[in-house]
Parts: sequence; C-alpha cells; structure tokens
Amino acid sequence: MLKKFITWLNQNLLHYSSVGAYWEPIIRVFKPNWREGYYRAQVKSIDSLLKDTLAIDLEVGASWPCHTAGQHLELTIEIDGKLVTRVFTIASSPSDITAKKQLRLVIKCQPNGLQTAKLSTLAIDTWVNISAPYGDFYLKQHSKPCLLLAAGSGITPFIAMLSALKSSADTEQSIHLIYYAKPEEHLLIDELAELATGFPYFTYELMHRAVNGDVYQQLDRFEKHAIYVCGPTAFYQGVAKFAQEYNSELHAEHFSLTPVQHSDKQAFAVSLNGKALTINNSTAILTQLLQQGEPMTYGCKMGICHQCQCTKKSGVVKNIRTGALSDRGEELIQLCVSQIITDLELEA
Amino acid sequence: MKQLTAANFDLLGQQLDELRAQTMAKVGQEDANHIRRIIVLQRIFEWGGRVALLLGFINPVLWFLGVIALAVGKILDNMEIGHNVMHGQYDWMNDKHINSKSYEWDIACDGASWNRVHNYEHHTYTNIIGKDRDFGYGLLRLSNDFSWRVQNLWQFANYIVLSVLFQWGIAYHELAAERVFFGKKKANRESKAQHAELKKRFFSKGAKQLVKDYVFFPLLAGPLFLWVLTGNFCANILRNLWTSTIIFCGHFTGDVETFSEQECQHESKGQWYYRQALGSSNLTGGNWFHVLTGHLSFQIEHHLFPDMPAKRYREVAPKVKKILTEHGIHYNIGSFLIQYSSVLKRIIRYSFP
Repeated sequence: MLKKFITWLNQNLLHYSSVGAYWEPIIRVFKPNWREGYYRAQVKSIDSLLKDTLAIDLEVGASWPCHTAGQHLELTIEIDGKLVTRVFTIASSPSDITAKKQLRLVIKCQPNGLQTAKLSTLAIDTWVNISAPYGDFYLKQHSKPCLLLAAGSGITPFIAMLSALKSSADTEQSIHLIYYAKPEEHLLIDELAELATGFPYFTYELMHRAVNGDVYQQLDRFEKHAIYVCGPTAFYQGVAKFAQEYNSELHAEHFSLTPVQHSDKQAFAVSLNGKALTINNSTAILTQLLQQGEPMTYGCKMGICHQCQCTKKSGVVKNIRTGALSDRGEELIQLCVSQIITDLELEA
Repeated sequence: MKQLTAANFDLLGQQLDELRAQTMAKVGQEDANHIRRIIVLQRIFEWGGRVALLLGFINPVLWFLGVIALAVGKILDNMEIGHNVMHGQYDWMNDKHINSKSYEWDIACDGASWNRVHNYEHHTYTNIIGKDRDFGYGLLRLSNDFSWRVQNLWQFANYIVLSVLFQWGIAYHELAAERVFFGKKKANRESKAQHAELKKRFFSKGAKQLVKDYVFFPLLAGPLFLWVLTGNFCANILRNLWTSTIIFCGHFTGDVETFSEQECQHESKGQWYYRQALGSSNLTGGNWFHVLTGHLSFQIEHHLFPDMPAKRYREVAPKVKKILTEHGIHYNIGSFLIQYSSVLKRIIRYSFP
C-alpha cells in the first residue's frame, strides 16, 4: 500500500515510472551497473568451448527467481554506451544454481555479432544485467518415454533438464537424446558422459549429418515418444514434419540463423502493435505504413524531429541516412529514415 | 532563398552531412557517461536545494543557497537533460529511462506537446514566418514580416511577463497555435493532436507541477511550510528567467534572419542547413555555462544537428564555423552581454512601425 503510494508520487511528481528509475544514476555510483528492472550478475569465468562457442558463468544474487530447467534469460551488456540484449538458454540446473549461486550460459558467437564478440572480452568480476528466467520449453510430466533432439548449441536446455532430472531422485522417466553437430563440434560431451553414468533411464547418441543422414531418417524408431527439439529452424522443420505425420507430441524451441539478405525489392512481414502487415525494402517504412492507411504519428519525414520514433522489438533495419544496420534486439528507431532488412516486430 | 547558387547549396549539404556522419560515428561511452553524470549532478542540486530550504530557519543564507541549488537542479533537468534527451540525442543508448519516448521533465509543459511543437514545427520550419510559432511566440513582433499594431507598443512589458512565466508560456504554446480556447483556427495549420487531449494534458501536467512545488513539499516541511513554498516559487522564477533569456539569445538576436513559406518550398538539404544556420545565434562561454544552457549556447550547431549528443557541439563548432565561413554564410556568435542586448534592441525596435 505504502509502496504503491510512493510509486504514485514518484510517477506524478517526479515523472519517472518508478523510484528506482529516478535514482538509478545515483545508485549506480555505489553499485556498478545496477539497473532498474534488471537483475545484476557478475562474470565469474569465461571458457572457450570451441572456436566460436563460449561458456560463461555468472554469479547471481539471492533475489534472482530461479528457473525451471530449459528456460532462457535475457543478457544485457553495455557496448560503447549502448545497451545490447540477447536471449540465451540457461545450461545449469536449478539445484546447481542454488548450490553454487552461479549459472552457466553457453553462447554460440554469431559472425559479426556485436554482443557475442564483446562477451569474450569481458573481464572477470564485470557486472552485467540479466532478466528473470522465462519460456515454456521445459520437461513436462509424461507417462511415455521422451526423445530429445538437439542440434549445435541447441544442446544447452537439455543439459539443464537432464541434470535437474538426475538430481531429483524419484524419476523413472526414460529419456533418449540424439545430438547433431558438425564433426568435432559437439559441445559439452564430457558433461553428457557424466550425466549418463549412474543415470539408468538416460541414453544418448552423437550424430553427424554426413554419416547419419537427416534427422528425419532417425525418427522411425521413436513414434511412441514425446519429442523435444532445440536447434536451427531447418533442423526443427524436419522434426516437425515427422511429428505431424505420426501425430507425436512435440515441444520445440528453434532459432533463426538466416543471414541478412538483400535484393532490390523484397517484401517482409511486419507486426505493428500486433497487426500483420507487409512492407518492402524499396522505400522508408513510414512512407509505406502511411500509404497503407496506418494512423502513424510523424512529423518532418527527414529524420530530424523523432515524432515517428517507435520501438522495434525484434528484427533488423537499415538507417537510410547513415547506411548503418541496426541491432537485432529491442531499440528505438525512426520509421521515416529506416529501411526494412528482415521481418520486424514494431510497437508504435 | 538568396545568395548561394544551387551547386553551392549541394556542396554545403554534403559537407555538413559528412561532418554529422564523422561525429556520430564517435558517439558512444563518453556521451552515455556524460548524460548519466549530469543526471547525478541534477539529483544532488535538486535534493541538496530542497533540504537547504528547510535549514533556512537556522540561517537564512542556507535558504538562499537552497533557492539557487534548486533553480540549478531545475535548469539542468530542463536544459541539458530534458531538452536534449527529448530531442532523441541519447535514444541510441537503448536505456529505458533516458530516451525521447519516456522522458518527462520538471516543467509545466507536457513533454509530448513540446515534442510536437518544438522538435517538429520549430526545428523543421525554423524561422519560417507562419510555420514556426517560436518566432515571437505569437506575442512579440520581431521583424517587418508582421504588420505593426498598436499593442506592439507595450510588447517589452509582454516580453518581461513571458520571461517570468516562461514555463506556462511553453505549456500553452500548442494550445494557442491550435486556438483551443480562443480565436479561429488558422487554415494552413495541420493538427497533430485532438483539442480534448491537449486540454487534458495541459491541465494534468500543470496541476502536478503546482501540487509538487506549492502543496506537497511545503506540507512535508510542516511548520516551515512558507519557507519551502516561497523557496520553490523563487527557484521556478529563476529557472523561467534563465531558460527564456537563453532561448531568446538563440533565435532573436539582431542578425537572425527570417524566411517566407514560398522561398522554402522544395528546399534541398543544403538550403535547409542554410536556413538553420541563419536562423540561429551562438553564445561564447565556459563549459559550465554551456551545460547550464543545455548547450543551446551552440544554437547553430543544435539546429544543424538536433539529435547529436549536445556535448559534441563543442567539438563540431569550429568545423561548422569553417564550413559556413567558406560559403560566405554569417556565423552569428557573441558574448552573452552582446547577444542579449541585441535581443532587447530587437524587441524594442519592432515595438514601433
């Protein structure tokens, strides 16, 4: 009640959304990188697993609400003054985090990825910001056996799920994991071997596409299983096809690795405040939204007045004035000087 | 448009675009640190000031210092933080609280209304008579573009009143342009907000500010109610006088030029820059002075590059001056005393036919 009243006073008299937001710059003087609306975490170790994959251990405070194995979080770091946010799956089990106060993220570095490049250079003990865990990709209760299908860095949620399952003593859930990766690029294989010892209900196979063929060809044996899949979209599609044909239960998390493509006139899907639209890359986004009769707020149409500013939740745009490509994550963009590069999610 | 040839305008546009790109490429951590440091300073001045007002009963000097500190806190909030953040100068930081969409300042004027009238109308149509209401605020006759009326005879008194009540002047600015309460709507005006919305936000923001400074904080002070109330009043007046004076020095000095709607039709980027440069004037001073003006002492640079983090104006100014001078464009700069007396002269000069 008192807290509500103080927030109300803060919003109406000081014009900030919360007390923390108003005092944030002062609090940061005493608590480095403290940010209102985020949790703080401290980098404890950074290991290179493969040439382009990092494992980062973050120490989290007691206030961080622990996750359900398989969920992910948003990691936010400041790169040259700019906050950049990415979503990563938590590779630790909840009991690990409670015991060690540390969580592990396994991060595949994207080529030209601003954030992942910066992550490898973070000093130990640097403070970063994380969100609360979220996501609905976690092991449900099943009476039938489960099949886990991972590709590349898609192994991380399964490591968390398996170690959580192993430490909960009463499980008799039978689980099989098939893990696809390029030769010599399977991640966390020591952890997998360790999980399999003394865990009679769990078996796994490491596969390569060149030797074992497409994932679709492996699935005949598992028509009675509940399937969990995590990997790139193409990998997911093969599994989804099988699940549809055999009416299997399917839980999926897939990530898009499609590079930024560019041709002269290409159309993209835009979600504007939840409404589905199509925009092409021939003119500025604002111009087309106005042509399509969307009631947009705008002003100078030349990048000066910031009236057509809106929040891009996801996707890439190009700044017409500077030619610079935006980040993939959430940020403010000026629609009148933005050209569409990938599908977008906008909030005006 | 006068003087320059089309080719010269294109070159001017190209040079200034290049300067903008070069400078924006450097924008980063330093600028983020600067704005956060200024916010820390703002909090210290504002709350130091509010506490000092309470201590006035020990020694009235403390009350006096409190007024000054609170005024500086409000000036920092309005100028270096509010004005610049709301221009989008720090939007690239992706900070949830330091951006043009969410920032709301400690002044009677509703931020969204100001964004429309200032960022869009004033900055896009700078000094175009009939399009930029900031030129004289519909209250003062500052050039021969307006025909003389008897009421202009006492416009100097109007100017003083406007300065003292400046925050209410800008709060009412869009409502006056829209003729929300009085007058007939101008035919060529394109409305960007509903009258009901404008009225609601005008009264709601104004009331919040009044409650804050004249009810809430004085009540908190208990028996020192009047000390705090008068202290807040004085701080608000000081802030009004300072902001009004700085802003008048930026656009209404003697040499500042005006433009007509016809000559600005189908303007090229170079011509737009040219108009911005001739419509503005700069002030010389130390770094603390620049911060207190929100770097509007670099009004020319601000009008050329409104969304460049303002501290960068210090380093682009010599380059802008060089480019403008090469093209024979007047770079209007002077000390505060020279520029301000030129403003006063202009107000008095156009009081008469």
